[in-house]
Amino acid sequence: MFRPHLLGAGETQILSRCCVSQAVIQPVSGASQPVARRQLSDATIVRLFILPTIILLILMNIFPLIYSLFISFTEYSVISDAPPVWVGLQNYQRILSDPTFWHSFAVTGRFALLSVALQTVVGFGLALLLRSKFTGSGLITTLILVPMMLSPIVVATFWKLIFNPSYGILNPLLGFNNINTSPEWLGDPNLALWAIVIVDVWMWSPFVMLLCLAGLSAIPDYLYEAASIDRANWWFQFRRITLPQVMPLLLIAVLFRTIEAFKQFDLVMGLTGGGPGDVTETVSVQLYQLAFQGQFNTGMSSALAYIVLVVIIAISNLYIRALNRARGG
Amino acid sequence: MTAAPLAPVNYSTAVDKVGAGPRIRTAVRAIIAIILTIIILIPVVWMGMTAFKSHPDAVSVPPVVFFQPSLESFVSLLTQRRQLTNDERAEFAARTDLTWADQLMLQRGQVIIGESNFRAQLINSIIIAGISTVFSVGFAVLAAYAFSRFHIPGKDDLLFFILSQRMLPAVVVTIPIFLMYKELGLHDTHFGLILLYTSFNLSFAVWLLKGFIDEIPREYEEAALVDGYTRLQAFRKIVLPQATTGIAATTVFSLIFSWNEYAFALMLTSERARTAPPSIPLVLGVGTIEWATIAAGSLAFLIPVVIVTFVLRKHLLRGVTFGAIRKG
Amino acid sequence: MKKFSLLLALMAVLALMTGISVRAQDVTELTIWWAEWDPANYLDQLVDDYATETGITVNVVQTPWGSYFDRVAAEWAAQGTAFDMVVGDSQWIGQAVTQGHYVDLTEFMNSNGITETVTPATLQYYGEYPAGSGSYYAYPTEGDANGWAYRKDLFENPDEMAAFEAAYGYPLAVPTTWAQLRDIAEFFTREDEGLYGVGVYTQIDYDAITMGFQNVFFSFGGDWYDETFNTLGVVNTPDTVAALELYQELYSFAPPGTNNAFFAEMNDLFINGQAAMIMNYFAFFPALANPSINPFSEQTGYFSMPEGPTGLRYAALGGQGTSVNSYISDERKQASLDFLLWFAREDVQLKWAQLGGYTCNIAVLESEEFLAVAPYNAAFAETMTFVKDFSNIPEFGSLLEIVQRNLHAFVVGGEGEATAVMDTMAAEMDAVLVEAGYISE
Repeated sequence: MFRPHLLGAGETQILSRCCVSQAVIQPVSGASQPVARRQLSDATIVRLFILPTIILLILMNIFPLIYSLFISFTEYSVISDAPPVWVGLQNYQRILSDPTFWHSFAVTGRFALLSVALQTVVGFGLALLLRSKFTGSGLITTLILVPMMLSPIVVATFWKLIFNPSYGILNPLLGFNNINTSPEWLGDPNLALWAIVIVDVWMWSPFVMLLCLAGLSAIPDYLYEAASIDRANWWFQFRRITLPQVMPLLLIAVLFRTIEAFKQFDLVMGLTGGGPGDVTETVSVQLYQLAFQGQFNTGMSSALAYIVLVVIIAISNLYIRALNRARGG
Repeated sequence: MTAAPLAPVNYSTAVDKVGAGPRIRTAVRAIIAIILTIIILIPVVWMGMTAFKSHPDAVSVPPVVFFQPSLESFVSLLTQRRQLTNDERAEFAARTDLTWADQLMLQRGQVIIGESNFRAQLINSIIIAGISTVFSVGFAVLAAYAFSRFHIPGKDDLLFFILSQRMLPAVVVTIPIFLMYKELGLHDTHFGLILLYTSFNLSFAVWLLKGFIDEIPREYEEAALVDGYTRLQAFRKIVLPQATTGIAATTVFSLIFSWNEYAFALMLTSERARTAPPSIPLVLGVGTIEWATIAAGSLAFLIPVVIVTFVLRKHLLRGVTFGAIRKG
Repeated sequence: MKKFSLLLALMAVLALMTGISVRAQDVTELTIWWAEWDPANYLDQLVDDYATETGITVNVVQTPWGSYFDRVAAEWAAQGTAFDMVVGDSQWIGQAVTQGHYVDLTEFMNSNGITETVTPATLQYYGEYPAGSGSYYAYPTEGDANGWAYRKDLFENPDEMAAFEAAYGYPLAVPTTWAQLRDIAEFFTREDEGLYGVGVYTQIDYDAITMGFQNVFFSFGGDWYDETFNTLGVVNTPDTVAALELYQELYSFAPPGTNNAFFAEMNDLFINGQAAMIMNYFAFFPALANPSINPFSEQTGYFSMPEGPTGLRYAALGGQGTSVNSYISDERKQASLDFLLWFAREDVQLKWAQLGGYTCNIAVLESEEFLAVAPYNAAFAETMTFVKDFSNIPEFGSLLEIVQRNLHAFVVGGEGEATAVMDTMAAEMDAVLVEAGYISE
């Protein structure tokens, strides 16, 4: 049989450095082969490996998806006795011709753009700082991940306390000591969206950081060494080596953050509730108000959800194309 | 094997000659990283301090940094209390056999009558988040490997289908899932939540792990296959060890999600399988939000995830070591 | 479709494997749902007595306020039996009754004389639907409405009293009109000292800013619609515009950071000494009377809503009534009615009040004992005679969303001008009512 620890950590390090495949082949050649009786065909393996995921996802999602799609073409309230009444595209028409919908979509887009862009910059920056290990870098990395580990509702609750101009800690830390003139983060129409962005960036930059870190540590040293022999400057190295090598994982991080930003609900609801007025009313807040909050307009809310779905699908496709290009290049 | 012919050994000696430069650079980076970490942690520290504050201190103007710490919040997090009528209160105040916790609560006019649900809910959280994380990472690593290595008809569509599970806003699926769970008897069961969280995490986990496995060059497996490994053996002995960074990262993310999930936990459980998140954020005490108790609960609830992440930190930071010969 | 049902069946088998408990048929326990807060804890304490008397255990299951309605609605959607009784908010009753989620209690309450034991206002708002029909669907359980807490040490300080009288021409005392309340709020707003005149509700989710504003709005002669569901010229009148301007002015006398504030923030800014007066539901005043929470508890006084310019006086209603779930078995319905009969007994209601519950029982409310239990009880008993609620028709959610959004944009965001805001609000509400078929146009 096989030796245990065929590829221990030490060996893999060596492998990564000298990149010679004999290292793998060598121990194997000495091993006696069991008969192929348990050998599965590739097709069987594919099926065995993929089916659990696909079946579980279909089982869990087919009903909600079909149910909501059907309901989106009807007039229906989930708390009502009356059966759904087919209205065709009426819900979609009403939503798309409603200015409050376009407003909330613009707010969502602005929020997603700002917060994903900032998360990418901050997360990538943190990863660059932490890429070379130093004493305690493991601890530092763990600590930076803490914001992400908190429940979003708790985060919103405490940041609301922190933002409060009267008894919050943020304004004094920023040097505003007169509570009558210091910024009212969540109540000022010009600041409220930024306040949510700040919290979202605080919470989710660590996510981007962790994935970038994984990508960064995969870059072989010799690439930089070769570059420094060529006296390539820092910017050239970053653009030609670091960025392209990190790109695949970075894009996955950005893809998921974008999807989540479009659906962001807990932070917005907890911090501003969409206010002041409707300044920070994102699509998800509008969706919640339609689906619950005494309205229970299940038909309209399902239609709105499907519009959101289509938009997210379109945006994801752009990312995936970029991702495939990054991988192929 | 595009990059393999390079002989990096020649260059690495060049790095050694550079000497103190990189070390100073690393030190500077470390210092900046530590300062940033401290800034990032201010809100968490503030939350930690709030957990030990009395109510007036928690909302004082200006905010207080030095205060008389109190364990009131932890007592109210862990106990169930009964309001005393005025007569009872006087009678209790005269008693001398009260513990410190009893006395603390007596100031609020309450008497401890038992343990709160927090411990039971914490155990539920551990069971549900733990098992669903194992499931989602386990399923995902298999699927990701297959998607990464084999030609599968309609692969892009399948992958997009998996990704799309994450796209429909949760608000709109809570009711259909609630109805489905009621119908199937999955409501208020551990299994129900485990299933749900596994499926939520799968789409992300598959994509992320596929990203990592794509980075591992196929050449090693192929060499191993030539040498008589079966596919499964190659997967187990070569791919899995190389994918540990990805597996660790996916584990951490999946765990964090299922650990903190609020909306479905609230909708789909009542008592038996209720996890802790629905109970923590809105502790309404004697007619007000108890900031300290929320902070205490959040803090206690944070610690297990921090420990898991800290244990996994080495794997998280190891990186994809085979990246040396990736294409490009 | 075949495959789909096969999959569902598969899931059902999985579910069965995890074990489903089957409940016994004879009723030995009952379940009541309520939001997560102290009154629910008091109820939990109270029902121990029921277990002692009858052997039936009553479980009080609590859900956080923010998700309570969602959770109950999901149960309605499934026609579920997770609860036997629900302590439901006053606004829900229209939806619950028209969709058949509540058991009709008219016969039960009339034949047992329960209707006579509770105050008419609470019976009307917590129990009756449609308004004036004499049909009852809930037993008024937790009476609640907006009132005021104020700092007696400030109001009774001789220097302050002299300064106030010099400035405004009448003595400083608990305000009896909204104009006086405004003056006092202005008087005590001293930004340099960190003292502010007043705290008012501004929270945008669900109903908070509407509840706060209603206190002024109703007292200034406003209403959300008239008997024919007309909103135009009812919501937007010169008087209601004045009410809105007053509410915005009060907000300008509030401490910084109260831009999305509800009951918790009100209490917090009273506890930290920022506000001279705050509005709040009576249900949240126990915190202010508790010295371990409120350092000013000894100096805290309470008063009920002041009058409008024409002497009208209203307080926005909170509170809940207990209803019986219409989807449970007849035995369980009967057991629930038996419980309500016990709960409505005067001695039980007195105990309920002693524990801290806000009873709606007339005799208890008038008793010396009740008035002595807590410092705010006198103001509460007075308030419960002039309460008024937001709409409780099934479309209330859509109406509420309109009011919330417009009020918050104007009062907090400073957008627009009062007349236009009230006009927009009236027009948007009219559109909802027309579409729902209340008005033919």
